[in-house]
Amino acid sequence: MTALLAGSAVVTCLGTGAETFDALLDGRSGLGPLRRTDAERLSVSRGYHIADDDSCFRAGAWLTQCVRQALDEAEITPQTHRIAAVIGTGLRELRTLERWEEPPADFPTHLLHFGSAARAAEPALTEVVTVSNACSAGGHALAMAQDMLDLGEADAVVVGATDEMSGSMLTMIGRVAEEPTEAVRPFDADRGGVLLGEGAAAVVLVAEGATERPLARVLATGVSCDAHHETAPSTEGLGRAVTDALRRGDRTGRDVDLVVAHGTGTALNDPAEARVLLENVVGDGPGPLVTALKGAIGHTSGASALHNLDVAIRALRHGRVPPVVGLRHPLPEGEGLRFAVDSTPTAPMRLAQIDAFGFGGVNTVTLLEAV
Amino acid sequence: MRGEPASVPSAPPAVATVTGWSVHLVGPVPEAVGDLEPVAGCTADDAREILGRKGLLYKEAATRLALCAVHRALDRPPRAPRPDGPPDPRTAVVASSNLGNTATVRSVMATVAATSGRDVSPLAAPNASSNVVASSVALWFRFGGPNLMLCSGAVSGLDAVAAAIRLLRTDRADRVVVVGVEPGDEVARAVHHSTPAAAAGFPLREGAACLILERGGSPAAGTPVVEPLATAPVTTAEGAPPVAVFGPCPPDWPLPPRVVGPKELEGDGYGAAGVVYTALAASLLAGGGTASAAVTCGDDVDGWRFARVRVAGEAHV
Repeated sequence: MTALLAGSAVVTCLGTGAETFDALLDGRSGLGPLRRTDAERLSVSRGYHIADDDSCFRAGAWLTQCVRQALDEAEITPQTHRIAAVIGTGLRELRTLERWEEPPADFPTHLLHFGSAARAAEPALTEVVTVSNACSAGGHALAMAQDMLDLGEADAVVVGATDEMSGSMLTMIGRVAEEPTEAVRPFDADRGGVLLGEGAAAVVLVAEGATERPLARVLATGVSCDAHHETAPSTEGLGRAVTDALRRGDRTGRDVDLVVAHGTGTALNDPAEARVLLENVVGDGPGPLVTALKGAIGHTSGASALHNLDVAIRALRHGRVPPVVGLRHPLPEGEGLRFAVDSTPTAPMRLAQIDAFGFGGVNTVTLLEAV
Repeated sequence: MRGEPASVPSAPPAVATVTGWSVHLVGPVPEAVGDLEPVAGCTADDAREILGRKGLLYKEAATRLALCAVHRALDRPPRAPRPDGPPDPRTAVVASSNLGNTATVRSVMATVAATSGRDVSPLAAPNASSNVVASSVALWFRFGGPNLMLCSGAVSGLDAVAAAIRLLRTDRADRVVVVGVEPGDEVARAVHHSTPAAAAGFPLREGAACLILERGGSPAAGTPVVEPLATAPVTTAEGAPPVAVFGPCPPDWPLPPRVVGPKELEGDGYGAAGVVYTALAASLLAGGGTASAAVTCGDDVDGWRFARVRVAGEAHV
């Protein structure tokens, strides 16, 4: 069953949701030097940082801020609604655990997940589930939330997502890159790999009719697992997430006007995603506009699905689509896809597709409709 | 379908049939569960005795123990070859673990501090992501349905059971493999040290458990079914106190004849606990021990979760 988004709040390296969208329309990027003293030993020199202090538990702090803002915008309170929360994250508070002095016996265990951070924003949440599903955690949280509403388990669900870049994930990115990546170039023929961003987001999902001022309608989120390879994507698995979303949302690929792609700028993701879009979404016509954010805000891991979602909400409402920052020459596998290259107003758009694909082959595709 | 009110009158009931289960506890078997099905499990280092030799390199202890628990719950013979062929899109995986990869992330950063990231094996890369247990189970057994990794703290195990039943009710899967696991390494034990369970004298209990859940429907008489509950099942539907409680027994409950909690298990299963207790309850019920048992997990920081396990075909308790 469809559901409505009653509030959305975002923090990225480019600022709030509105600030991020404006910067994206201008083609700006939050790329800068990696703020770590061990950057050289990680073989990663660049990143998309939020310019706050270097304190512990930053992911939780960003999440608290976003959950509070999203609930305020939605004007949903526990006096009138049973509010549950599902929080997506790729890396939990592992960055803080990495920094903790040896042995980590006084590490506050309950802060590794996000029950406390969500309840700091709203103490009367009926439950807080932390779903640690890599780079598509936010999409999985959205799917779980919609199911909870459908089954009558809650009247409103706060879907949050948050990630601070961890040293161990940076190590792995540096370890597998042939040479340090200078910038993320989604769908570019000369893409050089991924860089991490950081940030959080939260949306409030309610049933049809439960808000007078919806931001957009969530038709469905399709979910699949490749069961194919630990880190390399499978077009078969990605395709199953797309077809699951279309079936659940009662739409066809031809109905999609806008794709906010996963677009990591890696050797393997972008051609696979391009093929899946060409096979499942692009029809005989010009096909949907395709944009991607990671060239501007980096890969925000578990938060990336909700960052994409917030941009999709704004694009549908304002009729403008941000260009793919970092894209100069589209990859050959993307021939036939219509990548957004500037932010001129588009023809009216009704349906957006939001992709999120994670480590371990965990995929979600969300369909969002204008209201 | 658009614009309808939010209810699914046709959704199957909020119960699932437990068609398979296993408990794989590392170390000596506590006397309190000696009458139940085998709960002793091999160590992560000996996982090849169950899983065969291939594919275990660079798999963390939590992943190995989870794979062992799933292998056993599926009744696969020891060292049976891994399934091949296309992934089964109708079987989902819901894993629960809080401390599975804490040792890996600490050791990766120790290597970086000592020399450089170049000395970390890229084969360990999947372990930097906390969902490695769930995705490894899917990859190993070829489960292509929804794949969830829950890390909700002390409530995580019953969160996983609830999430699994949701996947069945919303027709995202026909079968869900639920697996809970915690490792027993030094880092995991240290990180667990600040939990309320550890403060109460229950250290981290290394081990795993698995439940194979299918849609409620009309299971054969005698089959265990599990039902998540919003509040504590202080009494059965008939008003009687629960006969058996698996999990920490809330202080306001009348002490039932049978309690299997952290004291009896000589440790806290933490992220695995809700799955371990549900599997133990299923084992007791399937053996004819009782017709209904309450399952609990949680603590005063993360909150509490409850479920009831009962035998199909008996009075609804």
